[in-house]
Amino acid sequence: MGSIEIENLHFTYPSRNTPTLRGIDARVNPKAFILLTGPTGCGKSTLLRTLNGLIPHASGGKLTGNVRVNGTGVSEQPIAVTCQQVGLLFQNPEEQLFCIIVEDEIAFGLENLGLSSHEIDRRIDSALAQVGLAGFRNRQIAALSSGQKQRVALACVCAMQPQILLLDEPTSYLDPQATHDILKIIRELNRKLGITVIVAGHQVNEIAPLCSRVWLMNDGKLVSNLPIDQAFTDLERYSQLGVQVPELAQVAEQLGYSERPLTLNHAAQLFVNSTPDSTQPRSHRDKLSSGLISSNASSTDPTPVPTQTTPSNPDSILAEVQNLSFRYPQTSVDVLKNISFQIKGGEVIAIMGANGSGKTTLLLHLIALLRPSEGQVFVKDQDTRRCKPRHLAGQVGIVFQNPDLLLQASTVSEEVAFGPKNFRLSRQEVEERLEEILLMFDLEILKAEAPYALSRGQRQRTAVAASFSLYPDLLLLDEPTTGQDYYHLQQLMQMLNNTTKAQNRTVIFCTHDARLTLEYASRVLLLHRGELIFDGTPDTAFANPERLEQASLVPPLTMQLQRPQNDKTSSSHENPPPRNR
Amino acid sequence: MTKLHPHTKILLLAIVSCLVILLDSPIALLVCFLVSLCFQASIPPSWRQIRLLILFVGLGTWGLIYSQGIFYNQFPRTVIFTLIHKDVPVIGELTGGIHLYREGLFHGAVQSLRFNTMLTISCFIIWTTQPRDLLLALVKLRVPYSLAFMVTTGLRYIPLIGSEAQTVIRSQRLRGFRYLRLNLFHTISGILNSLRPILTNNIRRATHLSEAVESRAFSPDATHRTSLRELKTRQGDVILITLSLICLLGVIGLKGVYFLYANGLYYASWLRGAYTFAREVL
Repeated sequence: MGSIEIENLHFTYPSRNTPTLRGIDARVNPKAFILLTGPTGCGKSTLLRTLNGLIPHASGGKLTGNVRVNGTGVSEQPIAVTCQQVGLLFQNPEEQLFCIIVEDEIAFGLENLGLSSHEIDRRIDSALAQVGLAGFRNRQIAALSSGQKQRVALACVCAMQPQILLLDEPTSYLDPQATHDILKIIRELNRKLGITVIVAGHQVNEIAPLCSRVWLMNDGKLVSNLPIDQAFTDLERYSQLGVQVPELAQVAEQLGYSERPLTLNHAAQLFVNSTPDSTQPRSHRDKLSSGLISSNASSTDPTPVPTQTTPSNPDSILAEVQNLSFRYPQTSVDVLKNISFQIKGGEVIAIMGANGSGKTTLLLHLIALLRPSEGQVFVKDQDTRRCKPRHLAGQVGIVFQNPDLLLQASTVSEEVAFGPKNFRLSRQEVEERLEEILLMFDLEILKAEAPYALSRGQRQRTAVAASFSLYPDLLLLDEPTTGQDYYHLQQLMQMLNNTTKAQNRTVIFCTHDARLTLEYASRVLLLHRGELIFDGTPDTAFANPERLEQASLVPPLTMQLQRPQNDKTSSSHENPPPRNR
Repeated sequence: MTKLHPHTKILLLAIVSCLVILLDSPIALLVCFLVSLCFQASIPPSWRQIRLLILFVGLGTWGLIYSQGIFYNQFPRTVIFTLIHKDVPVIGELTGGIHLYREGLFHGAVQSLRFNTMLTISCFIIWTTQPRDLLLALVKLRVPYSLAFMVTTGLRYIPLIGSEAQTVIRSQRLRGFRYLRLNLFHTISGILNSLRPILTNNIRRATHLSEAVESRAFSPDATHRTSLRELKTRQGDVILITLSLICLLGVIGLKGVYFLYANGLYYASWLRGAYTFAREVL
């Protein structure tokens, strides 16, 4: 068992006037594996919450229509009963784990069910084995990596022995290796135990090859519900919504094939053995988003760039890191080891590496929030050991991974004007700059809104705009991809890219997203366990599979496709997808 | 000491809180404080914990001695230093002069010993008890499950909230904001603005956390809830509680007979030693 029936489902949150879900009808067969995708704010998470009873039991709001799990209405039974049939894994492992020890975390739900200690004991061992963490039972959760934490969260869900598993962007905080591990576990749960799986997410390249069906949502409606072999026939529909499509399917479309491969093997066989069915014209946007052409062409984008210009000399050194080593107080391991590089004006630099490789620590050194244990960091000719972060204010800007911690004003306008006002610019200058930045970041329509009430993508855009309002020479972005859909990410990076080119400003961003790096970065720094293992162009970085594997990264599929077939490393993409469940 | 049953720790805290209220003598209070430090030393605490404890104890001691030294209003009181003379215009005239009193300093020192003893024992309990054990202990003490769960989960998130507050302050400074300026309104509004992202983020986290626990069959009514682990009372718990109770009952007894004697209600010559001990030491 493990079936779901959704009938004419509408839902409106208590504080809102407009419904978030508008008439959803769908049926999920037992053992199905469904990808639920759509733009940010389309209602994916809300839909998942209606399936396990959180809505309406724990949320309030107005729910009409029916959700039946194995024939029983979810709203007619308590969550405690539904959660034994339907497990829900959330996006951020940090926000769903609250115990100190792994064992306690997994036991929590089982204790709530009133199981005997013997049964709890047995289920903990079984769940840990399922997620590949046997032997981690007495480990401290704080000492685990992000991937391991998400696996613990998955073990908590598995221990409840659900027949249906719902996953709300389960890999958005993880590096490619951890993403691969989690998806592999989920695939095994689906295939070996017959658990029905619904995964909401933007990472279609990774998830689509595992799926039997794809649901596409927009504006609270299910606009497409198709088996995997038909789901990506019409890619235009996804593009219009700004939703990422599988790279290989997009390449096939652009080459004129009607078939849509999702795995490298399938794509290679198709391109080698078949001829294109037609020669279709390719739109600029499609070419750009597939990564087939570089973003240099995008300089024609009409996004305005700031008129205030104090451009750095492109050859001038903006920052220099010399033999930097760093270890956090009361620890014995160096987080950064003997790192040296220079940053020049006009560069767009991607810092890549696995979770915990030292990316954020390196960023914090560039804004003097951390001081080297050994070596030196110079930013704008200032030695960070001798200057304080406020000395770099206005010259270096940073947006942390959680942009919410930067948003402190009552309105978007005040947020953007906060920096310029602190620098005591004249009222006219502040207003001019405000107008320019709001226009540049497409925030004009939101200028009177409270920043913390906006969607995640809008909040991040506001945070970047607020940092950018001081026109820093160096802008640092820590994981800007987290929780973002492809369209908003493209929009943000496009705008920053245009600005850096026009004014020789420098942007440094940490990311796991190879495709984003390939499209926008002019240079890549690869970190592995605190060591800088590569510093060069993205093309060169992604040309060496061993180096990428060392940094727990995978190149874009289109690049993998260009390699000889015998070069390819085994991955989840090699597994043929199940069909038509 | 660290493996004590959470009940023992909570009971110890209750006994110590009674003792520091009952005792007046600086020597006895100093002994209590030193005993609480011995509990701390048994952890043993990390450098970060030591620094934190020194900071709290230092601030508490300074604040209490200084405030009591100035605002002491009992008599007799001896002025040892004049901060603002009564002839100083406005402030001096309004306040009648601000002085530092010897008796006030002494009283502040006694109060700080009480405060620091409680603080040190509380830190010992928090730093040596896993939230889960504390939850079990509170539930066994018939604290409602939902309340006990909130308390223990809240404790778990305190360090995270601290780190977020630091990030917010850093973000503001990096955008040119200075907290300390002559303009008091500017400083206060800056601090209030800093609270907004911290509060918003915490509300969001609380929402996510509540969804996570609800999805794992959490119910405020925990009547059917079982537990993987059972907390066991050891011999050390029994010994410590027995000794603590003997101390408390002894102090209550000695203070009681001294109270009867001092108020002329009862006197026995064979209790003279007890009267002297209570007056001089307790």
